[in-house]
Amino acid sequence: MAQETIQQDEINLTAEEKAAVFKVLQRDLTLPEAAMLEVMNSEHCSYKSSRPILPLLPTEGPRVICGPGEDAGVVDIGDGLALVFKLESHNHPSALDPYNGAATGVGGIIRDILCMGARPIGLLDSFRFGKLSDPHTKWLLKHVTKGVGGYGNCVGIANAGGEIEFDPSFQINCLINVGCFGIMRKDELALSTATTPGDRLILLGGSTGRDGIGGASFASKDITEESESDRGAVQIGDPYMKKLIIEATLEAIKSGVVEGLKDLGAAGVTCSISETADAGGTGTEIDLEKIRIREDDMEPWEILVSESQERMFFVVKPENVSKIGAIFAKYELPYEDLGVVTDSGKCVVNHKGKPIVDLPAHLLTKPPAANRTAEYPDYLDKLDRKWLPKEPETKELNDICRKIMASDNIISREWVYRQYDTEVGLYSTIKSGQGDGGVFRLTEFGSKKGIAATFDGNSHHCYLDPYNGGAGVLMEACSNVAAVGAEPIAFTDCLNFGNPEHPKVFWTFEKVVEGIADAAKALDIPCVGGNVSFYNHDQVNNVAVKPSPVIFAAGLIDDVSKAMNNKFKAPKQHIILIGETRTEIGGSEYTRVIHQTENGQVPKVDFTTAKNTLADMVSIINSELVTASHDLSKGGLFVTLTEMAMASNLGYNIDIHRMPADTERVDIRLFSETHGRFLVTVINENLGKVVAQFAQHQIPATLIGTVTEDKKLLISNGNDTNIIELPLEEIKQKWKFRMEEEMEGKIQK
Amino acid sequence: MPKFSVEIIIEGKKNARDPEGETIMRDLMIKHGYDMVESVRSGKILKVNLEAKDENAAEEICLKMVNELRIYNPVAHMCVIKLVK
Repeated sequence: MAQETIQQDEINLTAEEKAAVFKVLQRDLTLPEAAMLEVMNSEHCSYKSSRPILPLLPTEGPRVICGPGEDAGVVDIGDGLALVFKLESHNHPSALDPYNGAATGVGGIIRDILCMGARPIGLLDSFRFGKLSDPHTKWLLKHVTKGVGGYGNCVGIANAGGEIEFDPSFQINCLINVGCFGIMRKDELALSTATTPGDRLILLGGSTGRDGIGGASFASKDITEESESDRGAVQIGDPYMKKLIIEATLEAIKSGVVEGLKDLGAAGVTCSISETADAGGTGTEIDLEKIRIREDDMEPWEILVSESQERMFFVVKPENVSKIGAIFAKYELPYEDLGVVTDSGKCVVNHKGKPIVDLPAHLLTKPPAANRTAEYPDYLDKLDRKWLPKEPETKELNDICRKIMASDNIISREWVYRQYDTEVGLYSTIKSGQGDGGVFRLTEFGSKKGIAATFDGNSHHCYLDPYNGGAGVLMEACSNVAAVGAEPIAFTDCLNFGNPEHPKVFWTFEKVVEGIADAAKALDIPCVGGNVSFYNHDQVNNVAVKPSPVIFAAGLIDDVSKAMNNKFKAPKQHIILIGETRTEIGGSEYTRVIHQTENGQVPKVDFTTAKNTLADMVSIINSELVTASHDLSKGGLFVTLTEMAMASNLGYNIDIHRMPADTERVDIRLFSETHGRFLVTVINENLGKVVAQFAQHQIPATLIGTVTEDKKLLISNGNDTNIIELPLEEIKQKWKFRMEEEMEGKIQK
Repeated sequence: MPKFSVEIIIEGKKNARDPEGETIMRDLMIKHGYDMVESVRSGKILKVNLEAKDENAAEEICLKMVNELRIYNPVAHMCVIKLVK
């Protein structure tokens, strides 16, 4: 190979990574080889820091068809169908170019679903920013929302929901996670493998430019002021072309000509030719000139690691190349036959007739794991877990409620989701703002079942108590799914953390994963995939983001017509609280917004009752015993009740003295964020049945009040005197319009 | 104070993709016989009339304004400010 070579010390790899490469190769690397190894060894592609920890998560279950390792998780949902879902971060690109960063995040996650062979039908999104009132936050929120909507709306995939959190630790490093789910026939599963030598390698879609050059290794670096000059790394999406790629790919799979399929995301062509070869136990050989490039002067290494959007990689039998070509031509999509599957175990790239890359596939796909050390972070010792605020006087309660309902993390997200198409495809039955999770019907696929999908995260809990915070996030996500009546069947996670080379950050990572793993075992729910985003560390101010796992839980409901929303239905119906309330206000809205402290006990998931609580919820909803349901999370009982009232324009009258709790304190009863609690409404004749269902498992179901025609929020404590009395309309106006006012200025009425 | 007209032209960076321009070229121009067209770039133009001390001041105000208000994103776009005479 007569060309420019790279000396060992010029390569941006660690000593262990270099040793692994040169032990096998025993020679210098070419420039393209070095670039490919660098990008595949990056944190983003190799999961080198997280790989030793992730096996803690349970990944097996009777429904699991594909677990972690493929592009997305695949679970059996019966009726011959499978659900495919995944979420991924696009944090670094979105921090620099919020519109294109968020849009291409959506584009990327759609490809992950598509490349398993599924039709993508729903999108979810999760944002974390600094304080809402900050101008930089507003700029990010505005353009990230436009980016998610701009891509998702144009490609024709409905938004199913999501979540947003505001906290100063995300001021510079915003976290943008996007998820997608799709449905396919089980027998149409496409894997990212190239198993048969002689098969052809086809690249479909857009041309290859310099966009996203080094995007992968760039995502593994902290953001500094110099990042502004990393400009080539910005990718631009094209949702209209993606729509054609979706249809062409699905048609190709249906026609039976696809042997293997891989999307081009991080590390582009490099990733496709190495992962398909390694997974299939074969090799790949391509001609670089065949790749259509957009800029004349591109170097070979740039072409190989480019992350240009809207490309898919197919493995096809030689006799089927013309058939698949005819399908692509029908959609007016360009494609090239790049090369062939070999039996060499190597990835070879030829340029002008000479090999410029000749690497064993496993060197690219299985770089050595990094040995990170974990160290207990001392900030945790400074927290007082037993701390309780001074009990507020009764006359202060109304104002506390007003403040919480208007806080950044509680106010309505309508300004965001009304910019999204939640209808396209006609799959959605419960849409954003109507229930705890989005519910999609599968009529189109010949099934009366429904899919519930939800995102959840809580960086405040995870920062103050990584283990219990991590467990809580999974419990909360599964509770969201159960609250609409769906059985939680699997989850995937996106773990957003600071720099893993900092032992104190890595300790929080380990603990969060342990928490999620233990909760998953208690709930008996498998993890079928995930994504890890490290280096969310702002070097300008030297702060890491708070530990922010985001969980995408998927649920299955047997009869989608029974899916339940969170709206009160009629006056006089009973309001029942499921579960027991404990003194758990650490990291709660109440503690942070009213008392501005990090002290207090973070909610702990009760592993003994968790699974039964969710199963009983699913059971009462499917038996049509309840008329509304909502799980208790951020803001506790008061916020949950009020959200149900606001959704229906009905009031409530509650006696909190009746609720089972470990404290008499009114403020804690109202605002504790204990997990495993739900509110449901029932008509009189079903009251006994609902209580009996939970009584079987010693879970309290307590009648705490009624829905009222009078549009007032009334709460008493064991006698006739109201301790809280607020007009619904006033609370609703603030809650509903505050984000719009922040984003668009005061509304003139 | 004298009045000036300024054009602020915002387009994607030179080597960034431009799906809108590509589509206009491919699906309108080339398909309808204008195959002499080699490239199309889309963008937007803001025509601003303003009062300023002199020509330089007018340009400076516009430059400061587009940067401060994030009317374009320096990471993704190029911005050219031209005085119209």
